[in-house]
Amino acid sequence: MVTVSAVRTPGKRERTDRKKGDEEVPSGAGAISSSADLAAGDRVVYPKQGVYAVTGLEQKDIAGQRLEFVRMTREEDGASVLVPLNKVTSIGLRRVASATDIEGVFHYLGASYDDPELDWKVRHRDNVERLIAGGVLGVAEVVKGLHSLSRLRPLPTKERELYDSSRHLLVNEISVSLGVPDVIAEDYIDFALMPPAGVKLPLKPPPTPVELKGPPWKRKKPVASEEEDDLGLGDLGIDLGALEGVGLGTADEAEEGESKGEEQSEEEEVPVAVVVAPVAAKAPAPKKKPSKAAPAKRKAAKRAKTAPAKAPAKAPPKKAAAKKAAPARKAAKPGKPAKGKKK
Amino acid sequence: MIRIVTLAPFDAGDITFLSKTLYRSFGVGTEHQGERALPRKAERPDGRFDALKLLADAPAVRAYADDKVLYICDVELANPKGPLGEPPAWGHALQGGDRALVSTFRFKPRGVTEASIEIYRRRLARESIHHLGHVWDLHHCYDARCAMHPSWSPSLPDDPEFDLDTFCREKSERRIRLAKT
Repeated sequence: MVTVSAVRTPGKRERTDRKKGDEEVPSGAGAISSSADLAAGDRVVYPKQGVYAVTGLEQKDIAGQRLEFVRMTREEDGASVLVPLNKVTSIGLRRVASATDIEGVFHYLGASYDDPELDWKVRHRDNVERLIAGGVLGVAEVVKGLHSLSRLRPLPTKERELYDSSRHLLVNEISVSLGVPDVIAEDYIDFALMPPAGVKLPLKPPPTPVELKGPPWKRKKPVASEEEDDLGLGDLGIDLGALEGVGLGTADEAEEGESKGEEQSEEEEVPVAVVVAPVAAKAPAPKKKPSKAAPAKRKAAKRAKTAPAKAPAKAPPKKAAAKKAAPARKAAKPGKPAKGKKK
Repeated sequence: MIRIVTLAPFDAGDITFLSKTLYRSFGVGTEHQGERALPRKAERPDGRFDALKLLADAPAVRAYADDKVLYICDVELANPKGPLGEPPAWGHALQGGDRALVSTFRFKPRGVTEASIEIYRRRLARESIHHLGHVWDLHHCYDARCAMHPSWSPSLPDDPEFDLDTFCREKSERRIRLAKT
């Protein structure tokens, strides 16, 4: 079975937004629920790609199978995309927003904004979800959210790129919907986001954003509960007391980790559904492949039974071992030579 | 190559400063193509000029495939009214296209002192970089120190910087590199 969902123009980076067994994208406003809704000449929005015009249906023989495709052409640059007919509903295609929807977007952009999400993991996942399934208002939410964040601190590179690409998508859709050039559409957006001094915008209550729900789009904040913090190190026979202070980082370290994590998450292009469920993936792992630490744990338990009084006495050497291991870890870091190895 | 076309009389020193600044910002040769007549057809009943129409009707100049034409005028421009009102027009450009327009109408008066002339030139350079940036597919930037920051933004200082920030500069460089024939 051919799993290619789209043929892109050369030069554009191929992105795999979902796994082979695609989950259904929750239907937002104007979502296309059936391939029968599409006809040649229709203008649709391909999430994270832009506005396309449906050219028509095509049949192709691929790997001995006759498959039906919808051919679409991106209005911005004329790039052609072939989407298998059975994938039309799962990729999140939707109609171009109406003028009423666009007006709501401007009222949303002009409204005062509560605090931006500061947890980068939640923010990144939310932004990706909203770009795919949130409709035009979802794209506006991403732009406004990142814009508000940029007022607090400069955006990291990956988020700066996301901000630019989501702004591009929003400009493109507004321009198509209102029938104005891109530059004017962008002026409208920034007129709402940053009105000139002394100008009071005639704002109405903004529309309610699309609620993203459903099994693959669980909106669960990664709150660090005790269960989630338990990495199973105790089961591996590692004394957590000996590693005291290892997990405690300064604010700078946290920031560094954040940017690293952001880069990693962007490079991997992990489907959102996979990112959301790290705890569920943890449970079956030991069953499939019993770790070598299990006998060690049993041995430790035996030792504890036979000589319970000796256990506290053995703790200090473990600490010492951990201290010995620390310089080794430092030395392993590229560009940071260990102090002890200076010649 | 960037070809500058003036639609009103401008000081030669200002144009020279602009050419040098554009060359420094984009790394593309810049040349003044002379002065042309302002297309009066774009004038609206209220005396302002329709920015879209003015750019569309601006006289063509001889240019090669990748050349960008920058028109400079001194008349008041008007944008089409949007859902929340009419954004102030400092110029106009064709996104990813080949021409841009800048108006000096909203600038502070050029004056005769060295300081005021310097401020005027810097602003002309900033607006030109901004609208040429659109021609190279750049979007507005949230950084008030970048030339791609909206010209009417309240966070923009009186005498704003006329350089692109790192992100916008790298993006424009990529576009220019790709466009080279």
